[in-house]
Amino acid sequence: MRLLRLRYSDFRNLADVELAPSEHATIAVGQNGQGKTNLLEGLFFLVTLKPLRASRLQELVRFGAERARVAGTFLLGGAEREIAVEVSGGLRQAYVDGKRASSLEEYFGGVAVVAFTPDDLDVVKGGPEGRRQFLDRAVFNRFPAYLRESRAYGRALKGRNRLLKDHVAPDYLESWDVTLSQTGARLWTRRRALLTELAPRAVAAFAAIGRTVDPAAYTYAPAHLDDVDFQSAAEPALARALHEALVRRRARDLERGFTSVGPHADDLEIRLGERLARTYASQGQQRALILGWKIAEIENLHAALGFLPLLLLDDVSSELDPERNAYLMDYLAASGAQTFLTTTDAALVEKAASADTVWYRVVGGTCTVEARGEGPASG
Amino acid sequence: MTPEPLNRLIAQLARLPGIGEKTAQRLAFYILRAPPQYARDLSQALQEVVEKVRLCARCFSLTDQELCGFCLDARRDDRILCVVEGLADLMAVERTREFKGRYHVLHGVLSPLEGVGPDQLRIKELLARLEPGRVEEVIVATNPDVEGEATALYLTRLLKPMGLKVTRIAQGVPMGGDLEYADQATLARALSARREL
Repeated sequence: MRLLRLRYSDFRNLADVELAPSEHATIAVGQNGQGKTNLLEGLFFLVTLKPLRASRLQELVRFGAERARVAGTFLLGGAEREIAVEVSGGLRQAYVDGKRASSLEEYFGGVAVVAFTPDDLDVVKGGPEGRRQFLDRAVFNRFPAYLRESRAYGRALKGRNRLLKDHVAPDYLESWDVTLSQTGARLWTRRRALLTELAPRAVAAFAAIGRTVDPAAYTYAPAHLDDVDFQSAAEPALARALHEALVRRRARDLERGFTSVGPHADDLEIRLGERLARTYASQGQQRALILGWKIAEIENLHAALGFLPLLLLDDVSSELDPERNAYLMDYLAASGAQTFLTTTDAALVEKAASADTVWYRVVGGTCTVEARGEGPASG
Repeated sequence: MTPEPLNRLIAQLARLPGIGEKTAQRLAFYILRAPPQYARDLSQALQEVVEKVRLCARCFSLTDQELCGFCLDARRDDRILCVVEGLADLMAVERTREFKGRYHVLHGVLSPLEGVGPDQLRIKELLARLEPGRVEEVIVATNPDVEGEATALYLTRLLKPMGLKVTRIAQGVPMGGDLEYADQATLARALSARREL
């Protein structure tokens, strides 16, 4: 997979921007608020149909414009394909080669993206919700069916919460408990499958980044499960276990009006040695733990899909200490992946650049190509 | 200015699902230009459909009598009953010409988010018609989505204690379809429910 051309129309502050990215690194340099992140966000949205930053879809449309559009021409398996996405009136529509894509899956066939933003760096010390989202993004990248499966779970969960509030007859609630446990068990097996693939790679990547003696550990195990070994249980056994937990906690759930057990209430546990990284790791170590995870995600997708995902790094270098940044830049240069970086200071990302790097300067929503050499000097 | 009777007709037609303003206009002009007998036949058909067609007292599909054709047909098998969400689903099952039992139409599925509970569906009526010894198997053919599954489970909990065999339609890759066109959730499900040959 390779992105050949990218065009933004009225996407955030990008009125009309066309990029011809490098086969390897493409670097956008600019001050804050000029539109660098919007370039990455547009690409991320094109490939995942989800906004990179939490926001309503309509916010993606440039102020005063009717619709936003991002279109990319990809080289997929030797053929040029144009995929595009439009946002208008709070709705999005995807197109493949100019034709409406009727299902999301049709659209996600051959492209994958791993994004790395300053928000990710706070995941270790933040709340469980942030870690779940972080984990789910990786699961979705690896297993596209997860999108639909997690929607089904969300719907079952909302339904059960409503029934809890309405205090319906036990038989009626029971039917929702079973549905919730079946859809929930599917999410559990997906998350477990991802962790099985990813965790060893992330541990190795963290060790390679260096400077910490203690090994990293990334584990996922649901809370409130009795009598079942989460790591080895088959999906039906997990569904039964979740169902039992729902029944056990029903009185408490009825009292509080929401469901207290299930994939929506779990946490991705990140440890350094024996201790929880959330409380014991330094800021530098926390960021290295995330960096290790992201590198693992890239390598895992490469192994699973047979091609490297697109890598998007939004001003990450300024948040990493010099040595860890150097490790990341070396890694990117050596990976051979098609990479998009933004920075306020070109010097921070120079090591990721090579002779074929394309440098853009971003000012007030416009992008201009800069000859190599001018970029770093003016940063 | 177009005449008011024409405007009224266009407005009524435009309320139909799938009919936009332009199509409504085209249909209205067609009716206007056709021989007057067509308009009389059409209006009579409309009148009759609302006056005469009603729900079957037993299975809640459509009929112009007390009971519908499916319930009256002596060749159909009383021992097996297929429960569907709506009339369109009944027609889909019927088109297969494979099913020779009786039907029961729920007229919806349980949906807490839309305020549809057991009392809003024809569930009481289903239980009432399952006299012991007559029906042996109930096939639950609700859709394979969250609400359809939950409804199937709810029915199972009510029907199993009555000594009935309760079955659920299978899910997976459509026949005659290409694997490459199956959506990934369906395909994943079909893979996990694979069987040995």
